[in-house]
Formats: sequence, structure tokens, C-alpha cells
Amino acid sequence: MARIFGIDLGTTNSLIGVMEQGAPRVIAEPVSGETLLPSVVAIAPDGEVHVGRPAIELEPHLTVEKDGRVSAVGFPGGEYGAVVRSVKRYMGLGGGEVAPEDGNRYAFADLTGPVARFQIGKHVFTPPQISAEILKALKSRAERALGGERVERVVITVPAYFNDGQRQATKDAGRLAGLEVVRLVNEPTAASLAYGLNRSAEGNVAVYDFGGGTFDISILSIKEGIFEVLATNGDTHLGGDDIDNAVVNWLLEELPDQIRTDRHVWNSARMAAEDAKKRLSEAGETELVVELPGHSVRKRLTRGDLETLAAPFVARTIKRCEMALADANLTAGAIDAVVLAGGATRMPLVRRRVAELFRREPLCSLDPEEVVALGAAVQAGVLMGTHGDMLLLDVVALSLGIETMGGVMERIIHRNTTIPTGVTEMFTTAVDNQTHVDVHVLQGERELAKDCRSLARFKLGPIELQPAGVPRIAVTFLIDANGILNVSARDERTGREHSVDVKPSYGLTDEEIERMLEEAIDLGEQDLEQRLLITARNDAEQMLVALRKQLGEYSDLIDAGERGKIEEEAARLEAARTGTDRDLISKLVHELNELTTPFAERIMNFEIKRALEKKSVEDYS
Amino acid sequence: MIQCPSCGARHAPRLICTQCGAPLAAELDCFAALGLDRKLVINPAALERSYHDLSRKIHPDRFANRPATVRAASLSATALVTRAYRTLRDPVARGLYWLELNGEKLGKDNKQVPADLAELVFDVQEQLAELRALSRHNASAAGGLAQKVGARRAELQATWDDSQRALAENFARWDASGASDANRLTAELKMILSKIAYLRTLMRDVDRELENATAA
Repeated sequence: MARIFGIDLGTTNSLIGVMEQGAPRVIAEPVSGETLLPSVVAIAPDGEVHVGRPAIELEPHLTVEKDGRVSAVGFPGGEYGAVVRSVKRYMGLGGGEVAPEDGNRYAFADLTGPVARFQIGKHVFTPPQISAEILKALKSRAERALGGERVERVVITVPAYFNDGQRQATKDAGRLAGLEVVRLVNEPTAASLAYGLNRSAEGNVAVYDFGGGTFDISILSIKEGIFEVLATNGDTHLGGDDIDNAVVNWLLEELPDQIRTDRHVWNSARMAAEDAKKRLSEAGETELVVELPGHSVRKRLTRGDLETLAAPFVARTIKRCEMALADANLTAGAIDAVVLAGGATRMPLVRRRVAELFRREPLCSLDPEEVVALGAAVQAGVLMGTHGDMLLLDVVALSLGIETMGGVMERIIHRNTTIPTGVTEMFTTAVDNQTHVDVHVLQGERELAKDCRSLARFKLGPIELQPAGVPRIAVTFLIDANGILNVSARDERTGREHSVDVKPSYGLTDEEIERMLEEAIDLGEQDLEQRLLITARNDAEQMLVALRKQLGEYSDLIDAGERGKIEEEAARLEAARTGTDRDLISKLVHELNELTTPFAERIMNFEIKRALEKKSVEDYS
Repeated sequence: MIQCPSCGARHAPRLICTQCGAPLAAELDCFAALGLDRKLVINPAALERSYHDLSRKIHPDRFANRPATVRAASLSATALVTRAYRTLRDPVARGLYWLELNGEKLGKDNKQVPADLAELVFDVQEQLAELRALSRHNASAAGGLAQKVGARRAELQATWDDSQRALAENFARWDASGASDANRLTAELKMILSKIAYLRTLMRDVDRELENATAA
């Protein structure tokens, strides 16, 4: 049975992990050693897709080379391509739900339909398609790192506060990337799994997950391997990005409007803000520089200033924590452990506020940016059956209901209900000989249907001709372990199953996904294979070049026997590199990497020693 | 009779196949779903233990690699058990469910103020109206009144606690005398549950107003 992998598909960064010898680990990019894949996708004029660092490298200039010409990578006005950041913010949104200010950042093809669509040059991309590119990049990374093992089945994490449409969009992204999404897991719950695996978190546990774009708080009871979520709360539009934006606004406040809203300026300011925020987690003061044509903006920012800018956002998260505690029927003092997840929790202000609220220091032995991916890997282990004593009992964060007379939302599944859960509701006709009953399913906490989010509509029927009120149709609303709704209906009188044609209010239809997959196969399958082959070859080449250099430079550190073995293996890789078998190339890269590890370690030790000696010489002189 | 989707064995409705251990889709009442006798007095720790034990055996995460029919049965069985647990865990939900099992229900039009609460309720509502008016333009006076309302809140809480005790006693009598005294016990159960429902709404209103007053 193929292994299941765990993926954290984040707003800012994405990661992939897997269980190895009973412990989760994050898989690093084989050549660079990076574990975080920036969730940035660049689409070049020719339709070629770049993900992660290469996409970021395209971004500052917002330019791409085309036929020797340099062209602007377009947002509105630009025509050729685009760099999409934070695509997660658009997952599951309808065209009409795109915020007006987003129009300054991206061009949208359709502002009325059930799915937001980015217009990029001549191409149109939906958020699941963009996310699928991130998933494909993670898949390719893991396959290269693991010597050609195929990544086919995955667990993907989502914010606990994601609604049905956002969850469905995430599953669609998986499907578009050619992956079987075995399970969606809520991010804070995943983080608790990572800590709970070795029992470093037990009892009542609060998980504070402040990521790039979303905030979640979950309160769990962890006991004898059962991870039971008691309550969850959050905000899908509150994240570290908001703090960066506040810094950008402060940084650019003295500039005239037309410069401040210029995308190039805004982008370099955003990067300066991001870096400054990171530096201020360690330093007390830092300088931000934004280069403009002609002159540059320089401003000093202290940690105190940053905290003033960030305070309102952090206060909003604390409010959410209090709500979650109330829903869990616990006081802050009853919490036994606090777990931090998400990059924004690196900020000292955030740690202070969290420690104040729960009156204890949060756990931080695991990297907050990796903990969700590690937990996804643990859940993958549970699904593979290798952790039989562990079980996750999560909740649905948003209430589910149906629209009743007068546009009122009648709640049938309350928020914080443990999933899977189901409710059967009885429907009947309002007039004689009515042949269909329309049902409108909603999600949200507001009283009126119009204030809740439409989830789906469906028609029950055809119903046999009968007087009003006689037919009895039992409709079962089942929320599965992924937090996704399934509907079935049965005629109580005849016992016959009714077909239910559910029309999701937002999101892609099955037909659309099929078409996207077919198109991708027509145009892209070979491209993808080709691209993966090229990446594998490049990895091999980089490795061989570096190795040859080391063998020359550090010949004293290796004996003839070891050198012989390495050279033999390198020759095999050299031969495979010109072929088309990418699995073989990946496998050999992996093997050569293992084989040369002791040599690499000796080089490292040698260099450290030399650096120390040099330093002591300097000290004496 | 139901049939196991995994091994084909036939059973009276139950959630786990005795032949192969696979989950089964069945319709059971909340007590049967959790393997409990139909008794209203429930030990919360024991209830949680049966829920956890059962979940370990039937949860969809245990059957991720099995055919769709087995996964569907697991989903339906787990949804049933989860609902049963939530219903029985909360004494009020358990009481309401008991009424349902006995073909009774709390009328939705049951908005009458329970007689022994009338005075308290009247007072509280008057104070709330005053608080609402004050918090708009006289913050300091609102603060003083909020304190008084806070004291009333404690009285409501005490009445609530009494009702919960009365509910527990009613449950114990059901278990002891059962069907022989059903009519009287049903009437009493209904009375206690409507009182609790009434108190719940009132306390929520009080909390909301107090929060608004503090925010202002």
C-alpha cells in the first residue's frame, strides 16, 4: 500500500511531510534543503508555471523575459502573465465575493459566477487550479527527495473555520493535481496531533494558529490517544499578512497616492515590511528601505512601533480565544497546555498575549511553521493504520441550516458539533399535487438566510401527486469527517431513495473539473512529465558539479576506496541523467546523496575547524 | 435484519458486525447506539468511555483503505453514535429525547413564564430595559445598574442549578419506578425542562446586555 503524505497548503508557505519510523518529518527540497515552499505561483506569458522561489524571483521586477524582450507581468493593464500570492484567500469564493480592493492586485475574468476566476493574459485560472500547481510542486519535491517514490494519496490541512465551499475547493485542487485527497484535517487539530503524538500535550489543550492569512483557535481534550475537539473559533480573513499591510501603510503614508498604490512600490514595501517584522522578533529596532525611481524611502521601526501597529489584530485573535473557551465551557485556567502554530506566532507580542490569556507559557518545541505539516503526516499515519491507538474527533466550525418560510435560517446542525454527524429532516408539500420541493442549504450563524452563506440548493422529486402535507420525504444531511456535506433523501411512505440533484452555490462542478483535467492532459500531461524530467536532470547536474568540486578541493579528506565507490555511483548518475527515466535519476540522486553524506560531514567539520583556527589567530594578533 | 457490506453476514440492527468487525449502518435509538440500558441516570465518565471505545472501532479514519460500501457504513454508524453521545451527555437534551421516545414533546408555544419565576423574571426584564436605555447616554449610571443586574444574574444561576438538581431527581425516579408512574413523571419532566429553557434564554439576554454595557 502506497504511503499517504501530509500537506499543509498554507496562505504564505506550503509543506509536505510523511511518517518515517513512527515519527513525522517534513520533506525538504533535495537541493536547496528548504522545507517551506512559498505559496506563490507565477504564470509566464507562454503559460509556463513557476512555483515558490522561482515565482518570487519573477515578482519584484514583475517582469519576464520573452523573446529577449522584457515585458511587464500583468495585473490589470499588464497583459502577459501574473504572480499570484495568497491564493488560499480566494479558495471557494464566488465571483461576486471578491473584495473590491483585490481588483487592484489581480484581474478577474468573472465577477458574477460561482467561482472567482483570475484573468492572466489570454488564460483564465480558478483558485483550485492555482493551488493545484502548489500541490504538484510539493508532490514533485517529495518524489525527488525520496528517490522516485510516488506521491498519490494525501491528507491536506485547511483552516478550521473554512466553510463547505472552501473545503470542496481544496479537494478540487487535489484532484486537479492528480492526487487522491484521503482526508482534509483542520490545521489547529493537526498541530495538536504533532504535539500529542509523543504525549507532550495532554488534557485540555488550546491550539492558537495564527498563519499568513487565517486565524484559528481550537480547544481540545486529549486523553488516551483520543483527540476530541471541544470548540473551535476563528477568522478566515485575519492573518500575519494584515500586520504586514499595516506596516506597508505606515511605511508609505507620506507618499502621494499614485506612487503608494503603484504595484511595484507596494510590492517592494511589502517585502521590506515582511523582513522587518521577522527581524524585530529578535532585534529591538530596524530600518526599512524602499527603492523608488529617483530616490528611496528609509524609515526606522522599533519593536514597540510594530507592536502598536499589530495590537488591534492580535486583540481580535484574543477575543476569538475567549469565545472558543466559552463554547468549550472552560475557563482559561483549565487549559493544561497551549500549542502555537503559524508563522505569525513568532512575534513576541503574540506570545506575550497568548501567555497572558492562558496564564501559561505556550509550547514551542516544534517549529510553528512546520507543526501543521507534521500533524498532517501524523494523521496520514493514522489513516494508514500505523497508529491504531490515535483517533481524531473534530467538529464542524459553522452551523448548517435550511431556509424556511420568510427567509429565516433554521439551524439543523449546530457549530461545534462533533463530526461525522447527521440529521434527518422531514419535508412535505405546501400545495396539492406539488411535484417538487425546493431546499436551500445554508451555513453560518446569522438568523436570516440572506446573511448566511448559501451552500447548495436542491430539488426533491418528482413527488407522486397527493394533497398538500401528505408526502413525507426524509432528507438526511450528513457531514463527513472532512467537514463536507452529503445529502440523501428517501420517501418515507414508499421507502424509495430519492435522487438529490445538489447544485452547489459556489465552486466548480464535477463536469468543469473533468474538463480541466482533460485539458490539462491534452496540453499539459506531457509538459508535466517533461518538466519533472528537466527538474530531475537539473538536480542531478547541480549535485555532480558540486561533488566534482569537492573531490578536487578536499582530496585529503577521502581515501581511495571511498572515492572509488562515489565515482562509480556518480558515473551511473551521469549516464542516467542523459536518459528519460526520471524515477531512475531521482533514485540515483538520492543514493548518491546518502553515499556522500559522511564525506560532506567531514568537509563541514574541516571548515568549522579552519574557521575557528583563523579566529584564534586573529585573536592573538 | 441488516447485512454486513463487508462479509455478508446478516444481523439484527447493530453497529459492528459480529463476524468480521466491520461497521454497519443501522437505525438505533441513542441508548442502544452506545450499548446502554434505557436508564436516565448516566455516569458521564462511563458514557464518554463507551463513546470513545466505539469510535475507535467504527470511525471512518479506521477504514480509509476499504471499499466505498464499508466507508459509507462507517460514516453512517459514526454519525449515529456521535449524535447519540451528544444527546445523552447533556441532561437537558437527554430529557427532551426521553420525552420524544415517549411520544411527547415540549410545545414550541410554551412561552409562559413558569409561575415560581414570575417575580424574578419581571424584575430582571425591567432592569434590562433600563440598562439598555442608560448605556446609550449615561455610562456611569449604566455601570451602577449593571452591577445590580449582575447580582440578579447570580440569582438566576442559582435557580438554574436548582432546576438541574430537580432534573437529576426526576431522572432517578424514572429509573426507579419507571412506567408505573409515567404520567406524573412526564408532566414533571416537561415542567422542569420548560423552566430550564426559559432560564437559558433569559440568562443569555442578561449576558448580552451586560456585555454591551461593559463595552460602552
